[in-house]
Amino acid sequence: MHEFSRTSQIVEAVLSEAQKQHAVKVIEVEVEIGDLTFLGIEQVRFAYEILTDKTIAKNSKLTIRQISGRGKCDSCGYNGPLSYLNDKQFHMIVPTFNCPRCGKPLSISAGRECIVRRIRIRK
Amino acid sequence: MTYTVQSEPGEIFDIELDENLKRANDLIADENRKQLLKHGIRTIDVMGSVGAGKTSLIEQLVKLLKARYRIVAFKGDLTSKIDSERIERLGIQTVQINTGRECHLDANLVKKALGRLDLTKLDLLFIENVGNLICPADFPLGSDKRIVVISVTEGPYMVVKHPFIFADADVAVVNKIDLAGPMAVDTTKLASDVRNINAKTSVVLTNCRTGEGVDEVASALGIKYGS
Repeated sequence: MHEFSRTSQIVEAVLSEAQKQHAVKVIEVEVEIGDLTFLGIEQVRFAYEILTDKTIAKNSKLTIRQISGRGKCDSCGYNGPLSYLNDKQFHMIVPTFNCPRCGKPLSISAGRECIVRRIRIRK
Repeated sequence: MTYTVQSEPGEIFDIELDENLKRANDLIADENRKQLLKHGIRTIDVMGSVGAGKTSLIEQLVKLLKARYRIVAFKGDLTSKIDSERIERLGIQTVQINTGRECHLDANLVKKALGRLDLTKLDLLFIENVGNLICPADFPLGSDKRIVVISVTEGPYMVVKHPFIFADADVAVVNKIDLAGPMAVDTTKLASDVRNINAKTSVVLTNCRTGEGVDEVASALGIKYGS
């Protein structure tokens, strides 16, 4: 959902850094996107291609690392991946925000990222 | 943080950016939160599916709480003033926010609406989001608490099909419980689905046509009612 506006922020961040570095070409961009965001990877790629057209980032390689959801439990100290409730009958994979160890609510520590990690440029 | 090293023209560089794209929306939501907090206004974001009873719930909460608190309601819709007029009839101030085509409210629209009000004269703000169980989850507005309203007429799978909206929900309201029988929907199952996704979310069963359960919603939000 809303991939176009998020991707335009990615492209903006990339181009502004590239300009600061006096780049002539952006070759590669590495971003991290959390599983708990509403960003569909395919749509992000599609928007990236359109938004970088006619810029120095045209045809650059977009590497997307997906970050799995993680949570921290204040009750038992668990700090790790979220668990999922699977129901094969309905093809449903439902994330749970409860601690897989003690069942208490977790606070989400990873999975909501949208980060531009690294860019590769030519000067 | 940005690291740079020197090089010759034409050379290729890797630049670490670590740029976390905290969205414009979230920054404005933080501003809203601070402003509301400064004036001691408690703010409740009411999300939920289309026709689940978000406006009816707010009407009932207003009836329960208006003697004790100075209340304002923001009403988000694509178009029309139908719902804000319903709430206005109860004698409180309302602000209609028409998004035009957007499927959710955002922090900037809420900021604009706040600009219309004298915040020193308010205790409680209800923000009714656009009917949608997906997009509003990703757009914090600056509220203290978030409610998700679903109803039995939407069938038995509303919760498990939309898990993400419950990640930040403080209260889940299962409405129209008087119709659970005819709809053959098990409200205990809906409630346990919510708890399985987020044990932090309190579940309240209501009939917002009669007001049944609405006092429990106020308690779950930590709002005192009565005299």
